[in-house]
Amino acid sequence: MTDLRLTVLVPLLGAILVMLAPRGERTSRPIGIVAALVSLGQSLLILRDFDKSIGAFQMEVDQPWVASLGIHLHLGVDGISLWLVLLTTLMVFLTLLSPQAMGLHQTRSRGFIAAMLVLEAGMLGSFLAIDLFAFYVFWELMLIPMYFIIGIWGGERRLYAAIKFVIFTLAGSLLMLAAILYLYAQVHAVTGQWTFDYATWASITLPRGPELLCFLAFTLAFMIKVPLVPLHTWLPDAHVEAPTGGSVILAAVLLKFGAYGFLRFALPFFPLAAQQTAPIIAWLAVAGIIFGALMAWVQDDVKKLVAYSSVSHLGFVVLGILVLSQKGIQGGIFQMLAHGISTGGLFLAVGILYDRRHTRQLSDFGGLWKPMPVFGACFLVLVLASAGLPGLCGFVGEFLVLSGTFTAGKDWQASGLAAPMFGHPALLAGLAAFAVILAAVYLLTMFQRVMFGPLDKPENRDPKLRDLGLRERLVFGVLVLAALVMGMAPQPILDRTAASVQALTANYRDRLAEARANPIGPARRSGQRPRRPASAQPGTARPF
Amino acid sequence: MTVDTVQIAALAPLLLISGAGCLALLLDTFKRARGPALWLAQLGCLAAFALVASQWMRATSSQPIWAGMWVVDRMALFLDGVLIGTAFLTLLVAAPFMREHDFAHGEHHALVLFATAGMMTVVHATHLLSLLIGIETMSLAAYLLVASWRRQPAGAEGALKYLLLGAFAAGFLVYGTALVYGTTGGEMSYAGIAARAGQAADNPLFIVGVYFLLTGMLFKIAAVPFHMWAPDAYEAAPTPVTGLMAAGIKVAAVGGLVRLLGTAFANPGLALGHAGWVRVLGGVAFVTMTWGNLAALRQDNVKRMLAYSSIAHAGYLLIGLVALGQRVDGAQPALLVYLAAYAFTTLGVFAVVAWVGRRDDERVLVHEWAGMARTRPAVALVMTVLLLSLAGVPPTGGFFGKFYVFRAAMQSPDLAWLVVAAVLNSLASVYYYLRIVVAMYFSESVRSWQPFRSAGIAIVLVVTVVVVLALGLVPRPVVELAAGGLITGW
Repeated sequence: MTDLRLTVLVPLLGAILVMLAPRGERTSRPIGIVAALVSLGQSLLILRDFDKSIGAFQMEVDQPWVASLGIHLHLGVDGISLWLVLLTTLMVFLTLLSPQAMGLHQTRSRGFIAAMLVLEAGMLGSFLAIDLFAFYVFWELMLIPMYFIIGIWGGERRLYAAIKFVIFTLAGSLLMLAAILYLYAQVHAVTGQWTFDYATWASITLPRGPELLCFLAFTLAFMIKVPLVPLHTWLPDAHVEAPTGGSVILAAVLLKFGAYGFLRFALPFFPLAAQQTAPIIAWLAVAGIIFGALMAWVQDDVKKLVAYSSVSHLGFVVLGILVLSQKGIQGGIFQMLAHGISTGGLFLAVGILYDRRHTRQLSDFGGLWKPMPVFGACFLVLVLASAGLPGLCGFVGEFLVLSGTFTAGKDWQASGLAAPMFGHPALLAGLAAFAVILAAVYLLTMFQRVMFGPLDKPENRDPKLRDLGLRERLVFGVLVLAALVMGMAPQPILDRTAASVQALTANYRDRLAEARANPIGPARRSGQRPRRPASAQPGTARPF
Repeated sequence: MTVDTVQIAALAPLLLISGAGCLALLLDTFKRARGPALWLAQLGCLAAFALVASQWMRATSSQPIWAGMWVVDRMALFLDGVLIGTAFLTLLVAAPFMREHDFAHGEHHALVLFATAGMMTVVHATHLLSLLIGIETMSLAAYLLVASWRRQPAGAEGALKYLLLGAFAAGFLVYGTALVYGTTGGEMSYAGIAARAGQAADNPLFIVGVYFLLTGMLFKIAAVPFHMWAPDAYEAAPTPVTGLMAAGIKVAAVGGLVRLLGTAFANPGLALGHAGWVRVLGGVAFVTMTWGNLAALRQDNVKRMLAYSSIAHAGYLLIGLVALGQRVDGAQPALLVYLAAYAFTTLGVFAVVAWVGRRDDERVLVHEWAGMARTRPAVALVMTVLLLSLAGVPPTGGFFGKFYVFRAAMQSPDLAWLVVAAVLNSLASVYYYLRIVVAMYFSESVRSWQPFRSAGIAIVLVVTVVVVLALGLVPRPVVELAAGGLITGW
């Protein structure tokens, strides 16, 4: 049995060791790679020990932290977080292995590797935490290393991009903090104990008004993270200015927290508010899918193109989750993983292009297949995976999401509850499907302009234009293999998510039915006043 | 009134600190060497800390002495520990700072100890007169300390402004004391005021007296609109003294307010209209944190920026005081933990500011910090951790303190808006704290970087960063200490 505390601790220890190593990357990079490899091994052990028939949390560790305030270091893994943990450790390992991770700034590599490992600890902790305090601490732990990664190793406008990233992300997470504090007090008022325990929080029904406000606070944080249009403006800046490694982790893992947050927190905590606002968010997701695709189409900067394609692809994830059906949610989770592999890989490929040619403008490339055939082949697989070609990873997720959306109405009727008012789920699915065609257009156009066409620019003929080196081949080999396996044999992944998603949707439906029957929630039934804390005594001055 | 051994034992830490101050002053008069006075002062702090620790073990219940003038309880002892620690760390920074900037005053060390004695009196006071004596002892020493850096051009201006406005504050305190005394039928002890407050509550003069007392205390914690002196005084003072003022005086004044509001004015019948001081303080809290943060956004001078940041922190602390007034669970320990985290963070930050400047080149503009991470990575890292703690980002003590205070306030639905406002305020604060980080890490240095070497400052940095991270990562021991001494049964 694996101890999940170690999973979080190993990258942190690695970061400390890296900081203690002498300057330069000669010793710090091997230490970093070993730490990332150990983490990867641990997540594989978690995968081995995972029992796919259980929908609840597994391998739980519950260590009191500040017991009097109900703060615990409570970690656990279920079908929703299992694969995301594996994705995190894999992508961090590949990033540290890749020679281009720091972009062109090949300085201060020790700090970069340490920041990556702290970031990894924050990401793993956020995926595994089932105590809201611990979750918030880990969530914020991701912010600072990413800020440094963009700000120190980024491009020309890195200051602007870094501060924009921090302000956007923090605006969302601070509102979420306010909601967490409110819920913390509410849980105390209802249950009589101070606790951050996930299961307890998920069993509390709030009064309608506060429920909606808290849901909006959580949702805003997650919408910024995903990001959903119109809160996406930080993303192109952050992606373009970040060094390759930063972009890869940002796209492959960090953005997933938005969707993960919806699944883990927003839906179980606030079922009624989620139900009411699901149509709006679903339409925003579709708007993002199409807007991202159109924006990607007109970009001349390859990195920006991939960044906007990311906005488009993550719209599918949110759409899948928000139709609130088994198929849609499983498709959303699969799409998260597929996007992590394909878009993460595309950012690495852009990093290679920039490393070789010091430009990212499409018009500067052309005919690169000839000097770089191995790179071309890998790049092609990743482009096609991103475009959703059947047989590769991108197809499975998008297909499940689209078909889940299409049949959303029936699914809900079958479960005996009225569907969320999507208007016409078929219309949503149709519009999103249209974006799949757009994705093929812009991605294939990009590939054609970079790799094919006449080799007429002298810089592109330079004999020094190297094809992939050994480490790069290893990195791309793993990504291409992952894209193929996930596309050809998605069943093992879907099997392991099924039970947890089923538990989630079943619980969601029960809670929704309960909330509809008792709009004020169990607090009033148990005789306590839900709106006032139990400790407020009569006679207290009641200002404000 | 007789003086017996029990009373002497209760006062021992205070006597030790003031005695060490007097001896340091004498030593400086007879012997011009700088070393012994400093060592004596530091030794005094360590011995006083040990005494406080031994008193803690015995202080299972509160022990009033001198007819209700003074109390020894765990809240006071907790704050004593923080204040003595503050003084000790200030002395460690002050010695190398004065050597570098070449203004040696032996009385400096004595004044730091006298100020600390005043602060300790404030947190032990259970009588308006002992409160007044404590506040004035602390403030007089602080006026002198601010003015002690004669070479600093703004020194005289800042010190004078501080003195004049401080005198106003003292006037408010004295007048408020007199009005409360007159309207409660001759009561000045907190317990007596609490007992009579119900009858006096309808007397408009009593209400005026309460608000005068509050005004005097709000001056000391630099709450808006009584904050004008803070940026000038902080800028003018020698940097270690700025640290002492930002950390020590705020801790003492908030501690004094906790006791004053928590006991003397805790009577729920004591109301102005239907809301009482709780409502007024809520408004002051909002204005203070918002104004402090907005003004800090515009500062280019690090010391002034930190002055406004300390004003904003006064606002967060006032939220805790309002929660205390709403009688929610855990407001008092939350304030104590917040104060401890804030004090150590602030001391560390000002130690870095003190370390950065050289003689005739104080180096306090943000852009002058450019490139520090290249040449001094360890100090830059420490500064980053401390700034994140001020901003309230986990896993630092600053975050935990904020969380604890907001937890208390959130229990009262009437205060939810203040918590939301405070949380949004921290967003604004992150922007200016990160400006320093940006300069240190993301900008290339424009001038050569040769800070002075000092073991004292290095020790302070290590101690503060360890305390700040420990408060964030393993807050349990401090939470238990702070919860040990509730002054009321709420």
